[in-house]
Amino acid sequence: MNAAAQTPKELPTKISVRSLDFYYGADRSLKNITMPLHTNKVTAFIGPSGCGKSTLLRVLNRMYDLYPGQRAEGEVLLDGENILDPVIDLNALRARVGMIFQKPTPFPMSIYENIAFGIRLYEKLSRADLDARVEAALRGAALWDEVKDKLQTSGLGLSGGQQQRLCIARSVAVQPEVILFDEPCSALDPISTAKVEELIDELTNRYTIAIVTHNMQQAVRVSDYTAFMYLGELVEFGGTDDVFNKPKEKRTLDYITGRFG
Amino acid sequence: MSDHIVKSYDRDLEALGRRIAEMGGVAEKMLAEAMDALSTFDVDLAHRVVSSDPRLDALQREIEENAILTIARRQPLAVDLRECIAAIRISGDIERVGDLAKNIAKRTLKIVSEARVPRAIVGLKSMHEIAAMQLKDALDAYALRDTERARAVWQNDSDLDALEDSVFRDLLTFMMEDPRNISFCTHLLFCSKNLERIGDHTTNISETVVYLVTGESMPTERPKSRIPDFGVKDEAAQ
Repeated sequence: MNAAAQTPKELPTKISVRSLDFYYGADRSLKNITMPLHTNKVTAFIGPSGCGKSTLLRVLNRMYDLYPGQRAEGEVLLDGENILDPVIDLNALRARVGMIFQKPTPFPMSIYENIAFGIRLYEKLSRADLDARVEAALRGAALWDEVKDKLQTSGLGLSGGQQQRLCIARSVAVQPEVILFDEPCSALDPISTAKVEELIDELTNRYTIAIVTHNMQQAVRVSDYTAFMYLGELVEFGGTDDVFNKPKEKRTLDYITGRFG
Repeated sequence: MSDHIVKSYDRDLEALGRRIAEMGGVAEKMLAEAMDALSTFDVDLAHRVVSSDPRLDALQREIEENAILTIARRQPLAVDLRECIAAIRISGDIERVGDLAKNIAKRTLKIVSEARVPRAIVGLKSMHEIAAMQLKDALDAYALRDTERARAVWQNDSDLDALEDSVFRDLLTFMMEDPRNISFCTHLLFCSKNLERIGDHTTNISETVVYLVTGESMPTERPKSRIPDFGVKDEAAQ
């Protein structure tokens, strides 16, 4: 199917994935993926384990470059620029395209430093400006009120949910344009999950977001668009309401209703 | 549609469908018996119809509770979610059909002592034939997930509306002929309104079937009656 053809023209596209193939060595794990990520919208990637959704996410900020033997073919256009191009500055790319992982990954340093560390990599700010940026990031991640009195304590002392929001704050601090979430709530309790979802909802006004999730209800709740992937193929891409209420493909229906063999 | 990985999920949904079928059976029987009681002025039968209603109410509650539990337990999506919503809606419509049949039975009990113009009931019998057929088709459409049949029911409701208008005019005539007919005919007028309402609930059921199967809603405007209705119906619909 041609997902791009279904998208109304007027929606601006932040990232355009075109004819993307991905190889782990000889294994082709993404097959001719073409889809858009619309600007300031949330796109959910769903599908059974091994379908390639996390792989696709990792292509969007070239995370796979860290591992030998992995390569992508095709195009991934970020604002029209192909990020698969070898000349792309990866540090600059990852500042523009942030990523949040399944398990919270705070650095073993203070809460303040967790945020400031990334900012210092890219910018030289005065102490006051840096403080302001850290506060803004923590506020942006709805964590400020909980940590403002203990900014110098270790980030590892926070609860799982707080750690995850700290990671989101860290990502937001370098002012990215796109944020990728890879199963951000799978290790969190329902309250922390709700806080992260609320956060995603707030972030969507300013950032283009992609989220991989196994939780179907979460995909319904947080996303505007949904891509269903199976065995490395994009089976269906469309508005989340359509995909979850009246999917076009039987494989999508079987998966979202729990009929998958 | 079965074959969930979790088998008990299939059983939950199937149970909802079976209960709807049972409700449909009770309501059809109530309607048929209410009209029999009216035609033959059978007091015992009318009482029996009235006493059937609590069973229908209990079934509706059971369906609603089970549908809500299924939503809470399984967090259904797409057609599964529509199964639950359809069960809630359709059980509500069938329950109302039962109420309206019961109301016909109750009116029968009131007019039994003053049965005046038996020919006034002829038009109501025709209405009942259509309403009963429509109800059966709608329930079959639900059982078979048959959108074609559901759409046909939706189309044909205008026949019942047209017939109601003609019954209305007949009853008006009988009342003008002899004012002593007024009480009797007024009760029949309400009965014809009940039959017309049963048609509306039947149409609702068929709309729900289409929604259940396709995820699409039917147009809000139903086909209009082909016979001029003197504006009476439109006012009533406001």
